[in-house]
Amino acid sequence: MTRTRAAATSTQKAASIREERLARDGRRRRPRRASDNPLREGLRLERVPDPHTMVLFGATGDLSHRKVFPALAQLWRTNLLPAEWHLVAVGRRPYDDESFRAEVGTALDRNSRVALEPEVARQFLERISYHRGDFDEVAAYDSLVERIAAHGREHDGVANVLFYLATPPSAFPTIVGQIGRCGLDHEMRGAGWRRVVIEKPFGRDLESAGRLNREVGRVFREAQVYRIDHYLGKETVRNLLVFRFGNGIFEPIWSRQYVDHVQITVAESLGVGERGAFYEETGAVRDVLQNHMLQLLSLVAMEPPAAFAADPLRDEKVKVLRSIAPPPRGRVTRDVVRGQYGPGWVEGVAVPGYRGEPEVDPGSETETYVAGRFEVDNWRWSGVPFYLRHGKRLPKRATEIAIQFREVPHKLFAEADMDPQPNLLAIRIQPDEGIMLRFGSKVPGLGLDIRPVTMDFTYGSSFAADAPDAYETLLLDAMLGDASLFTRADEVEAAWSIVAPILGTWLDAPPPAFPNYEAGGWGPATADALLSRDDRRWRRL
Amino acid sequence: MAGPRSHHGIVSTEPAAPGEPVLRWASRARSVPEVGRELDRIWSTVSLAAVAPDGGVERRIAARSSVMNLVVIAGRSEVGERAASIVEGLTGRHPSRALVVSQADPDGPAWLDAQIHAHCVLPAHDAPETCSELVYLTAGGETGQHLAGIVAPLLIHDLPVAVWWPVEPHFESQQSHDLLALADRVLVDGSRWSGDGLRQLAHMATLPERFRVEITDFALVRQARWREAIASTFDRPNLLPHLRGLREVHVRYAARSVTPGRTNIVKPLYHVAWLAARCGLSVERPLRATDEAGDGEAGASHRAVLRAGRRLVRVSLVPTEADAPSGTTLAVDLRCERRRSVLEIDVTAMAEGVVVRATVDGEPMPERRFHAPRKREPDLLAQAIDEAGHDHVGAEALAQAAMILGEPRALAAHRRAH
Repeated sequence: MTRTRAAATSTQKAASIREERLARDGRRRRPRRASDNPLREGLRLERVPDPHTMVLFGATGDLSHRKVFPALAQLWRTNLLPAEWHLVAVGRRPYDDESFRAEVGTALDRNSRVALEPEVARQFLERISYHRGDFDEVAAYDSLVERIAAHGREHDGVANVLFYLATPPSAFPTIVGQIGRCGLDHEMRGAGWRRVVIEKPFGRDLESAGRLNREVGRVFREAQVYRIDHYLGKETVRNLLVFRFGNGIFEPIWSRQYVDHVQITVAESLGVGERGAFYEETGAVRDVLQNHMLQLLSLVAMEPPAAFAADPLRDEKVKVLRSIAPPPRGRVTRDVVRGQYGPGWVEGVAVPGYRGEPEVDPGSETETYVAGRFEVDNWRWSGVPFYLRHGKRLPKRATEIAIQFREVPHKLFAEADMDPQPNLLAIRIQPDEGIMLRFGSKVPGLGLDIRPVTMDFTYGSSFAADAPDAYETLLLDAMLGDASLFTRADEVEAAWSIVAPILGTWLDAPPPAFPNYEAGGWGPATADALLSRDDRRWRRL
Repeated sequence: MAGPRSHHGIVSTEPAAPGEPVLRWASRARSVPEVGRELDRIWSTVSLAAVAPDGGVERRIAARSSVMNLVVIAGRSEVGERAASIVEGLTGRHPSRALVVSQADPDGPAWLDAQIHAHCVLPAHDAPETCSELVYLTAGGETGQHLAGIVAPLLIHDLPVAVWWPVEPHFESQQSHDLLALADRVLVDGSRWSGDGLRQLAHMATLPERFRVEITDFALVRQARWREAIASTFDRPNLLPHLRGLREVHVRYAARSVTPGRTNIVKPLYHVAWLAARCGLSVERPLRATDEAGDGEAGASHRAVLRAGRRLVRVSLVPTEADAPSGTTLAVDLRCERRRSVLEIDVTAMAEGVVVRATVDGEPMPERRFHAPRKREPDLLAQAIDEAGHDHVGAEALAQAAMILGEPRALAAHRRAH
């Protein structure tokens, strides 16, 4: 998919039959839309968003400095932000415009994907102003209203506003409530659009996610809300859609008839580092399984959407999530494995165990590893297990989706020294993005020996290496109003429904025997047993 | 051409910094089969694939890129050297194999000289190196008359072939026909052609049907930001209906010469052609040079009349004295009338972008600025390599340009070709 094509389609909302009939009869005009503009055709690839003000809450935080500002600066560098773009950085710390710009400049030097030329950096920083205030301070919002209005008057008269909440989730309801109180959410006719981008985690369980959705929904319509899961902005994840639905040869074999099982791995070699306090409250299930991994699963398992637009795409993903039966409490211990790393060696360096990390409880029961067996109970996938694993302090950083196909139905080459291995399609998401297909080949010689060989596609060998960062993609999409790669409220809740029984069972269970895997290993032994029970094993990465 | 010429094989096995191309191989050959053997030798040389930065053996060169063949018909050697240096600089966007072909000493004996280079780039620290080959061919004597015969055996099979003419092509020659028969895509820059460039443009519009090739004209690609700027005005739902009332299109371009036919007007014409194609306009009166200059005009302008149903659309391409290079668009002015409302749009170029000013019934609308530095040749080449698909908007603009020039068969030919 090209993101921009999706943007085009998503804005082409069909008129109702009544609307069309009345328009035909000359009694009512069909509402005109920007997508009716014939000059737009073919221009979507580099469409510049409408002039707007971006309001960044949590502007002084780590996420803003590491990800948001560098992504915005790259968009500016590549001329993808409108000349009238302006950012109001909202934070509690006592900065003024100049000192905050200097702070952002330092962050850009440290975190930019492509170094900015000084003049480009200067132009970018000039467009940032600092607005000091606590998130619950009424006066700060009132002055924010005036600031946004002034910018609108200066430039276009149309006050488009993108709110970005790069704050702890506990601040979301307060900020959204204040935005609503000031009327900054109102999209009055001709007065510009208003959108809000929310960072994960979207709640910490099903109940809190539902509550958060309701609180946001009291102020913003769902179409105005962009829940960001940066995994969906990664090139390879987006390419998964193109791979599946832009090629004719894979979809016919993408089902229980040919697929034996699917493995999804998100392995990290890093530990929790400075995020100990955060991770203590989160754990592997909430941090990765509930969002990134279930998103990957839904992209692998979804049916072709009716159109490449936000809602058809998300409709299909939700259907997959709803087809995954949450494991009954009694089966959680059988189908889901948790682990926590102890001390060990990673990449030749001795590392402490999780309980020895800064800001971590020495008796912590937080899981740093999770592996599970899930089934998508629908016509296409019934009986095909999806094995998901994620862990910290594993031997290497690797994210991969592996489609393991069934064995050949008849073993023809009885004389061969080994049976042909089943075909495997591996979609590598990071690092070294690419796609690998394994098949059997005859070893040259007089005999009939078969060895597995691979056809390997790497992105770097075919395309420009400077693919945009996921945040660049997603920020631009939000500015353009394309929600295809953002998570909808019902998706979030469906994903929480799947993991809720897992978290509930663990809460009620006796304390786990942690640590149960060594840093630098591939997880607890019980994770291997999860597959060996089905006569399968994890892929060696 | 950049890079040492005296090597006969591996040049460097030193590790590269990510994103910085390194010359790994350089050798020479005197015949096409010899070139083929040298290219094979690059990938069968074990020591190139295994280096030992810390004493150990590590596989570093993993793959030749799998993107496309790029054939550069350079003509003169200095153009070839410039083109080769552009190709070398396309870090990470390299064609798999670039054949830069120059001719020399046409009246001398037949000979061929080839320099074969492999440039490699490390996309990231944890990614394998990816390489592309650059073969710089100089053909002397009669060999230079049979370029397609040199190029064809050296193409990587199953990869698309783009033929780039950095200088003015002679599409009507047999030599060009032979090369076009090999090509999937033709890259040109119509704004660099001699005279007004219109005859060659009309000729080029026939190529898609005759040779089943896609055309990428850098002159048209460069105007993307202008198109974005013009289109943005009609994104406003209340202004969109005015587009159906388009009445006038005036394009002002820089001209140093007052003599009609001396300034290349391919770029100004493309603005009109794109608008006409998108708005479905037909040609009432083809483009013709007027006899005399109007007020403030540096020379005689070109005028045409287009038609949308019963409505006529007047077109003029007006030369204006300016410091910009001749043929550069300075402004695109549109006038649209709908019922009694008049929308006037003035799009002008700045050093680093485009600015749109519009008025409705004399009332100014908010000004919009599009940050858009002029694209350089390497950017355009990289874009052409990246966007390998069918660009129907560009194809329609080219066909429409030929129609506006009075080639009524152009659009029919375009429809047959696509």
